[in-house]
Amino acid sequence: MGQFKTIFQFEFVNYLKNKVFAGVTVFLVLLIAVVMFFPRIATVVFGDEDTAEEGVAAEGMLLLAAGDYARTDLLQEAFRSAFPEYEIALTDEDLDTIKRQVLSGLAEGAFVLESPTSYTYYVENLSMYDANTQLADEVLQNLHWINSLVDSGLSAEEAGEILAVPVAHDTVSLGKDQIQNFFYTYIMVFALYMVVLLYGQMVATNVASEKSSRAMELLITSAKPTGMMFGKVFASCLAGLIQLVAVFGSAVLFYSLNRSYWAGNMLIDSLFGMPVELFVYMLIFFVLGFLTYAFLYGAIGSTVSKLEDINTAVMPVTLLFIAGFLVVMFSMSGGEIDNLLMRICSFIPFTSPMAMFTRIAMSTVPFAEVLISILILMVSVVATGFFSAKVYRVGVLLYGNRLKLGAIIKAVRKG
Amino acid sequence: MELELRNIQKSFGEKEVLKGISFTASSGKAFGLLGRNGAGKTTTIRILMDVFNADAGEILVDGKPVDYKQLRLGYLPEERGLYPRKKIIDQLIYFARLNGMKRQDAVKSIDYWLERLGMAEHRNKKLDTLSKGNQQKIQLVTALAHEPQIIILDEPFSGLDPVNAMLLKDVVKEEIAKGKIVLFSSHQMNYIEEFCDGIAILNGGSIVLKGDIYDIKHNYVRDKLLVCSEQAEEIRTRLGDCCSVTETGELLVQMKDPAEKQEMMKMLTGAYDIDEIKVFEPSLNDIFVEFAQDETSGDTMLPSGAHVPSGRNKDIPSRDTFIPFGKKGNGR
Repeated sequence: MGQFKTIFQFEFVNYLKNKVFAGVTVFLVLLIAVVMFFPRIATVVFGDEDTAEEGVAAEGMLLLAAGDYARTDLLQEAFRSAFPEYEIALTDEDLDTIKRQVLSGLAEGAFVLESPTSYTYYVENLSMYDANTQLADEVLQNLHWINSLVDSGLSAEEAGEILAVPVAHDTVSLGKDQIQNFFYTYIMVFALYMVVLLYGQMVATNVASEKSSRAMELLITSAKPTGMMFGKVFASCLAGLIQLVAVFGSAVLFYSLNRSYWAGNMLIDSLFGMPVELFVYMLIFFVLGFLTYAFLYGAIGSTVSKLEDINTAVMPVTLLFIAGFLVVMFSMSGGEIDNLLMRICSFIPFTSPMAMFTRIAMSTVPFAEVLISILILMVSVVATGFFSAKVYRVGVLLYGNRLKLGAIIKAVRKG
Repeated sequence: MELELRNIQKSFGEKEVLKGISFTASSGKAFGLLGRNGAGKTTTIRILMDVFNADAGEILVDGKPVDYKQLRLGYLPEERGLYPRKKIIDQLIYFARLNGMKRQDAVKSIDYWLERLGMAEHRNKKLDTLSKGNQQKIQLVTALAHEPQIIILDEPFSGLDPVNAMLLKDVVKEEIAKGKIVLFSSHQMNYIEEFCDGIAILNGGSIVLKGDIYDIKHNYVRDKLLVCSEQAEEIRTRLGDCCSVTETGELLVQMKDPAEKQEMMKMLTGAYDIDEIKVFEPSLNDIFVEFAQDETSGDTMLPSGAHVPSGRNKDIPSRDTFIPFGKKGNGR
């Protein structure tokens, strides 16, 4: 225990003294400060201009070749209201001229109607987010309906009313609101992902560099491997936690200072509207997940002799972790959080920190399941801790070629 | 205090690294653990330091099984290495604390040792700003600062200039005088001869020779004559195969029986112009080379008195016959 304390202290102070660690933390806090203060700064600096700009400026021109469409005035009007930011110009030029105009940048794009319900959209570079065809589809569809209704004897106004009848709706989520939770769950899972990969690598490098500088010869004779492993990993866990708390804490602080300026921003509001209990779960799963992986990374670090071998050596563990991350990410964007794969993953120690946390955040999980998942994770932390200490003891004294997994397990069994 | 290793055995996988190592070292004396690379010295040291357990055998301190909570060991590994980018004082305190010292005591002791080794000015520097020899002195502090009862020095003199070697010699002598057990592992036999009372030579995981250096040298079979003569060529022609030339140009004459000594001397001094003639006494180096030779691979390393049949004889201390400490041979 005494040794654990000494090692923990030494390693933790090393993190604090590490310029990269300090630099990254300060940078992240500053970045968050800038983001959080931005609306306030913006109102102070550009405040007047913003309000002065009442009307919507025309972004560019869209050409509309109506062909033999019966009522071009109605058509143009409908397009105008569908594309308020564009100037809609009717044209009867031939196709080549239209294409030239689009290419030359005179017009942003051109709709060339072949029939009342079919058209070709010409654009110079099709942006990924170009929704113009969808809008045009709707416009033409509406016009078609109105025309059909008018043809069957209704007046244009009546037809318009029928089509434009508003449907009022309200949604009450009895469980979790996935839309609202999505953002902060995403951010939390991503933070966990980044921190585990970053610190896992750091622990592995830490062990491997002690080995390659041969400080290990002295360490292993001065301290017990369990003390070494637990001291190192817990120190890195605390360092990671501090970094995380510094970043999220400063975000909360800066947000509360600028709350009024963020009013109405759904994303930010949802982020800071995160329930406290979820934050507690976040901490629990973060610590347990972090420890599981940090132990594994530490054990791997002890099996390599050269620092440049680390990246290939940690690959299997990193892939395992990324696989878990991807399952969570796909389930989140797929909308079905409680799918079978996620249920399974939320009890496997290597994936449960992310999977179970996501399920808690975005769905309703029975408390017993959460408890079981946490207990499994706790047991596995202790187990991987002792396992990695054993690997460490065997690994650190073996130099030369990178050890094969089989050889390590054999050596560990032999003690 | 007496440290005893009794029949220590260790295998790594199929490979039997230690095949029953036994020796005893006592307070106020230095003990030399010799052997070629891969003979099992480091494994023995690691088992002694509780890095891993022996498959069989025991380690006793004053006759009782060793209690690592009570026993303080200091170790200077052959592969030197500390944290290159950390402040010297910080890492020295760290290692002293890992070895059970309180912070304040550690600082006091480390400052004493830095002063003693002339390293005080480097106290707050980073390790990698120091020269190799100075880094080694810092490493020595990690072995001594926590006042260990047993000090294990693995090749302590390698990489030291003569002045630093002298300083280290003084330090080691002081520690021995303080009643510490010093275990030496080195290939530099002159240092072993200078410090150690007892030695054990390991070869292939077994001890092939052990005992008091003085006894070993005097019990070594005295069946060779060292001859210094202007007529070396003539002597060689006459004696043929049993005669060889040493590195220093003297003749080494192998006799069939040590009892032939008088006769051979008479014959040589009568027939030739002899400058000097004496019974050949091997240096520790010669003994080491002979006993540490690899039997199976037909190793060609030979003592400085080369080209002669082995000086070993069936009835002298050999691979199978150990000389117990302090016990003199049969006076041959």
